[in-house]
Amino acid sequence: METLLATLPFLLDPSILIAAFVGVTWGILGGALPGISPSITMALLLPFTYTMDPAAAIVILASTYVGAEYGGSVPAILIRTPGTNAAAATVLDGYEMNLQGKAGLALGISLYSGFIGSMVGLVLLMLLSAPLSSVALAFTPPAYFALGILGLSVIATLSGDSLVKGLIAALLGLIIATIGTDPVTGSNRFTFGSADLLGGIEPVMIMVGLFAMSELLAQASKRGEVDKIRSRPRIEFPDWPLAKRLIPSQLIGSAIGSFEGVMPGAGGTIASFMSYNEARRWSKHPEEFGKGSPEGIAAPETANNAVAETAIIPVLSFGIPGSNSTAILLGGFLIHGLQPGPMLFEQAGDVIYGLYAGLFVAIIGMMIMGIAMLPLCVWMVNRPLPYLNAVILALILSGIYSIHGSLFDVGLMLAAGVLGFFMRMLRFPFLPTVLGLVLGFLVESNFRRSLVLSGDDYMIFVDDRISLALLVLSALFIFGSLARRVIAALRKENRLAFSEGSEG
Amino acid sequence: MITRDMVGGAAASLIGALYLFYASQLRPSSLADSVGPQGLPLVYGWLTLALGLVLLAQAFIAVLRASPAERAKQADAWSGQGRRILWAAGLLAFAVGYLLIVETLGYLLSLAVLIPAVAIYLGARFGWRPLAVGVGGAVVLWLMFDKLLGVGMPEGVLRGLGL
Amino acid sequence: MLYHRITGLSAGLTAALLAAGTAQAQDYPVDTVTLVTHSSPGGGSDVFLRELARYLGPALGANVVVENVTGGSGANAIADLAQSPADGSRLYATTPTFIYTSLLSELEYGYDDLEPLVNVFTDPEVIFTAADSPYQTLEDVIQHARDDRGTWGAANPASLERQSLEMLKTATGVDAAVVTHEGGGDLMINVLNGTLDIGVGEIQELAGQIEAGEVRILATLTAEPIEAYPDLPTVQSLGYDVAVRKFRGLAGPKGLPEDVIAAWERAIPEVLANPEYQAVYEANSLRPDFIPHDEYAAFIAEFGAETEQFLRETGVIQ
Repeated sequence: METLLATLPFLLDPSILIAAFVGVTWGILGGALPGISPSITMALLLPFTYTMDPAAAIVILASTYVGAEYGGSVPAILIRTPGTNAAAATVLDGYEMNLQGKAGLALGISLYSGFIGSMVGLVLLMLLSAPLSSVALAFTPPAYFALGILGLSVIATLSGDSLVKGLIAALLGLIIATIGTDPVTGSNRFTFGSADLLGGIEPVMIMVGLFAMSELLAQASKRGEVDKIRSRPRIEFPDWPLAKRLIPSQLIGSAIGSFEGVMPGAGGTIASFMSYNEARRWSKHPEEFGKGSPEGIAAPETANNAVAETAIIPVLSFGIPGSNSTAILLGGFLIHGLQPGPMLFEQAGDVIYGLYAGLFVAIIGMMIMGIAMLPLCVWMVNRPLPYLNAVILALILSGIYSIHGSLFDVGLMLAAGVLGFFMRMLRFPFLPTVLGLVLGFLVESNFRRSLVLSGDDYMIFVDDRISLALLVLSALFIFGSLARRVIAALRKENRLAFSEGSEG
Repeated sequence: MITRDMVGGAAASLIGALYLFYASQLRPSSLADSVGPQGLPLVYGWLTLALGLVLLAQAFIAVLRASPAERAKQADAWSGQGRRILWAAGLLAFAVGYLLIVETLGYLLSLAVLIPAVAIYLGARFGWRPLAVGVGGAVVLWLMFDKLLGVGMPEGVLRGLGL
Repeated sequence: MLYHRITGLSAGLTAALLAAGTAQAQDYPVDTVTLVTHSSPGGGSDVFLRELARYLGPALGANVVVENVTGGSGANAIADLAQSPADGSRLYATTPTFIYTSLLSELEYGYDDLEPLVNVFTDPEVIFTAADSPYQTLEDVIQHARDDRGTWGAANPASLERQSLEMLKTATGVDAAVVTHEGGGDLMINVLNGTLDIGVGEIQELAGQIEAGEVRILATLTAEPIEAYPDLPTVQSLGYDVAVRKFRGLAGPKGLPEDVIAAWERAIPEVLANPEYQAVYEANSLRPDFIPHDEYAAFIAEFGAETEQFLRETGVIQ
């Protein structure tokens, strides 16, 4: 209550209002450009914040983060290219809905779910910062390892028809994740003397390659065979029955997103995949997932927007950034001589309340800008296919280059595109690869770190309660999914299992 | 008869084996933990190799068990794939071509060439329209990335113009 | 790694906006000096450099701008600098990272392809523990490691912090697990939640937690006591011969002209004495540590040789 009262006056502060609007618009734009991640979008603004007053500076950065998490879903739905890592799960059903001519509705669901996720995240940020911040501290290396395993357990259900193929695809991702600096010794692995590989391969390059580049290659290969889909050029919000149907998946997304947001290192990508999987598990229509299920958009989009707010909690409470984006937010605080951490609330309460108010405005602004910008986006993707694909190719070549200004990265993305093309041809699913790539480093580093801590005693994974609980949960997921496969096989049901990478 | 899964299984085994080879070359260090830099890569390598072989075996069994009708259908599965790969390779060649020219020609000009070339390759009719889309698209992307986002795209031959 | 993968950025735009001062070129051979950092915007080195750039312009008689060349843990920045013109227009903000990266990776360009210019600061590295931990002194921590098994943390796998812990382990002869992390934030969590007995970090990064009373610093790894904490013992004074010097200086391409070197040797002490700037860096517990060119080149060479020896002895490199 006190927090609310303290926040209210800032809602009328013009500098905060402007910062929030500019930030969220900038964020949507940056998020929508493939390769420009939320953290880059924020970093690009950082220089401008030097001259702003501290509250406005923090608000513009945080609003950019919120906008970018939503913006990532736009190309995911329209051109099968996740604009941000966390939007990768949205590609599945979003692009499928677009193919069915329902792009406007898909975008509407994404925007509306992002709005809900953001609001839930903001409420948690304002009211429960203290209790939630203890979650971050409770996570020790074995618990992070178990969290990674829980994320990987999703592979069992994402694998489509063949579990063996799904596992191979996941291993490919894990293998790519081992390239770079060893997490314990600091020596280089699989870099072959290349400076470009020292820092490892960023997931975004592989994702854009696997999804977008391989889609372009596949369309080129089927020249003239594809039907052109026309989407209605306006945004459409779900009607009441559909909105009701989306509630459970949005709840799942909010809960998982808020939880993962608080934990440093977990982040939006894992949250959106896990909530996609959970939404599918609890849905009344699990068979629609992967074939244009509205819930398949609602869950991950709610989750990644909830992450954008709750990820701020560890920054404010401990000064610990959990991701690149929040590291830049932390930079924003430091630039203004503010040291985030337990003392921040006492030393710079105004900035915090200004931030809350700014985020609130930004979330409303996201809704307004989202509606205003979408017709243009839908119009663009309705251009004739050869032109559209030519421009998309130019766009992703530019986007990947802009990450480090490196043509090597662009080459890497093209290689991932070729890999994706053949994976489609041989009917391997990509999602396990993406998941392995995102989680590989988390799993390996925390596994080894735990064993260093315990002196090679594997009991550390059992003694740590959170680790034990998460591992048990993962085991249940895996066995549950295996059991379903076995039952399905026994019944010889030709179950239309959801297969993502299959080519038509 | 070769099915998709046979190719997939063989490719996976090959990747696993290659990766295992490189993983086994990683050198140990006394700063390392007991699992070491090699630990998980070796596990991943063996698993990939083994699962590749499992897939291969599954594929052979599937072929042996298949009825003649199914076999006939399967034999058809590859028809047209060669042409498809060629078409896809063509697009890839344009992308690689762009990589080769972008530093000399500059971002703006390279895109103005790439966009119409790809559009025509993908079926747009030759004429003023692809050229206009190419120039327009290049300018819009250049304004967005280079000017608005300030990414600093390669300038190439336009360097002197201060663009 | 997540923390370190913070991605690149538009140098040009940033640089243009941050042009510190519009001082007229008086005697410095070029109008604009670009200071390159491998740190990402908002990161430790970046903030440090931007503050410095603000005060350097007038002292140097040139515009000073900052550019972020990220990626490859500094490898990209080193390669960039090694191929830049040696006219003092482009310099690199060095930290021990550039030596570690050069040694660990067989790169085309290494730290010895650059010419150290001058040093500006040292960042005191300190040993800290959670405020609610049972350890009141470093000796308590060592004793615990003797009796049982210690768990000590460093922020990154191959870093000065890691090396200092390994050296402490050797000096004390105890059995302790040296656990590495993906950055300072990650390390801090594990110190605060009691997973680790102690962590090593720059005092500047710990400021917020120290002020809030969440962590307790036990000893400093510097050779001399820190002014802001006169009662804090040095590790050496406790009888363990371990001291490290986390330098923050500048380096350039080989063959920097004499007048450039002279200009910097004059400008840096001047900036460090500026009372306005003094207030800024003292608040961040940075220790002014000006080292002139000749001495600095010898210092970097020695630092490099010692690090190489350490990495060889431990078998990290061959």
